[in-house]
Amino acid sequence: MSIAQVKRIAISDSPWPWLLPLVALLVVFTVYPLVYNVWLSFHEFVPRQRTLKFVGMANWVQLVNDGRFWGALGVTFLYFFIALTVEIILGMSVAMLLDAELPGFAALRAILSMTLVIPPAIAGMMFLLMEDAQFGVLSYFLGQLGLLDKSTPILGTSSLALLGVLVAEIWQWTPFMVLIFMAGLRSLPSEPYEAASIDGASSFQMFRRLTLPMMSRVIAVAVLLRGIDLFRVFDYVFVMTSGGPGTATYTVSLYAWQQTFSFLKWGYGATLSLTSLVIVMVMANLFIRVAKVRW
Amino acid sequence: MATVEYQRIGKSFGAFTIMRDISFEIADQDFVVLLGPSGCGKTTLLRMTAGLESVSEGDLLIDGNRVNNLHPRDRNIAMVFQNYALYPTMKVYENISFSLEVAKVAPAEIKRRVEWAAETLNLTPYLDRYPKELSGGQRQRVAMGRAMVREAAVFLFDEPLSNLDAKLRAHMRTEIRQLHNRLKTTTVYVTHDQIEAMTMADKIVVMRAGKIEQIGSPDAVYDRPASKYVADFIGASAINFLPGTVVVADGRPAVDTATGRVALEATTTARPGEKVVIGLRPTDVVVDDAGPLAAKSVLVERLGHDAQLFCDGADGRFTVSVDKTARFAEGSDVRFSIPPSKVHVFNAETEARL
Repeated sequence: MSIAQVKRIAISDSPWPWLLPLVALLVVFTVYPLVYNVWLSFHEFVPRQRTLKFVGMANWVQLVNDGRFWGALGVTFLYFFIALTVEIILGMSVAMLLDAELPGFAALRAILSMTLVIPPAIAGMMFLLMEDAQFGVLSYFLGQLGLLDKSTPILGTSSLALLGVLVAEIWQWTPFMVLIFMAGLRSLPSEPYEAASIDGASSFQMFRRLTLPMMSRVIAVAVLLRGIDLFRVFDYVFVMTSGGPGTATYTVSLYAWQQTFSFLKWGYGATLSLTSLVIVMVMANLFIRVAKVRW
Repeated sequence: MATVEYQRIGKSFGAFTIMRDISFEIADQDFVVLLGPSGCGKTTLLRMTAGLESVSEGDLLIDGNRVNNLHPRDRNIAMVFQNYALYPTMKVYENISFSLEVAKVAPAEIKRRVEWAAETLNLTPYLDRYPKELSGGQRQRVAMGRAMVREAAVFLFDEPLSNLDAKLRAHMRTEIRQLHNRLKTTTVYVTHDQIEAMTMADKIVVMRAGKIEQIGSPDAVYDRPASKYVADFIGASAINFLPGTVVVADGRPAVDTATGRVALEATTTARPGEKVVIGLRPTDVVVDDAGPLAAKSVLVERLGHDAQLFCDGADGRFTVSVDKTARFAEGSDVRFSIPPSKVHVFNAETEARL
């Protein structure tokens, strides 16, 4: 292309010269995989022939009748709701505490974000060691407090394993919520609080009637960002429990991964991941509609 | 219904003292305006009264009780903020009812009071709206409604009209004053607008750099300004200042200025030889061909009901209110006189009234 040609494209009214690179990226890395995934869910890999065979609705019928899938979906929802609830409440509390201008708090705020630079798989390994029944520091302290029998492995006990994984999840991601909430708190106007203190409101009334409603948009964004991420939980369970003991920590993403890469059931794996994509999309859209803030 | 007393009030931020030795009293049912330019401490004094700023020195008494360390909610005051400080997430009704809800007033009584306030302020059609759906004037009225339903002992206003356009400001001025005439609640009103002060106040407190310059009725402050500063601040059209020396001419006191000789009242305390500055309000000066003051006309500004004549004299720009039919050619010589009783005399150094 000559310089004159480049110039003509650059000053033309058409948006396409500018949009094309982004559209190409989107098509190659998002649209094509999505379409391929849909196509794949109607096929299955035949290892001996090394080909994909059309199976019609077989994968979808299997999904509906698959007890393991429904179990995994239940575990995923449980993980999702517990983690989201704890991270919101804990995140908001810590954000309000750290919002105060006390000596040393600026450093604390900086330190807080450090959990976010650790890769989740590494964080999972850390907690795997800390929750070890023999030499784990967390198990030791829980034992000292009388909350845990010393011989009980947290991650090896069906009733405790999911909580054990959640500890890592909450430790790593609560600071993310704190950062978002703190940014929200700092952008709140101070005048309504002065008016409320003259109007006679207590701190709790100010929190409930002013802070929470004024923060609703910020909370909605945090729920959306974190919620989508939580539903795809993989790293922690993969590293810490591999879904066990039994199926106590078996999530949908883990199941899809296993079907695809361990059992080479590419078609069924695609069906599983497509299903979780649809669930996330439906939930996110419902949430956006419900959480619509009018003021 | 209450009195407010300021006893030697001072305010410092760290080592920086912005206010010192403020003492005055506000009588029950009085409408007092704190007037001064921005940075003079008037808003700080109001916020100290509200309990939003701490009092560094002295005693603050509401109805005879020292309230220095009392939380805002325990002072029985209501406040209207400059930017209204409405609760953005509550509808107009809830904005007005919030204080009553918090005080656990019976629901029927809350409804009665909110409806009364809405009725009084013409807000009834807007009770179901959010603040962001209202115009500036409507928001201002919601802020007033919030204060009204409180049945507070003292109303505090912090430049409540400064965000409104000129016409609405004039309208709300009369509304607020009418409301005060009806409710008779003791009111402290902060403004930098001398017209608001003149039209609304029972008593004006003129402040300057953290100190009180003069306290008095609007008429007293206008007719007998205690200092050159007050004379300059009060009055719709800026006062003319002429420096000069006191002399005795034909047995009567007068001031010799570069613009001409101005006769003083025989009762003046200014002594011959004293360096003074005299203040002449444009409305008190009359065009008089035999007058002692001389200047060259520059421009006539017509204001509809009358006109302002700007002249250049030996002491600089000189303004005179003239009849709107009067015609002055640019550059023509004009002569003026002023009755001795209308001349304000200030010491040139202390700037205090003589």
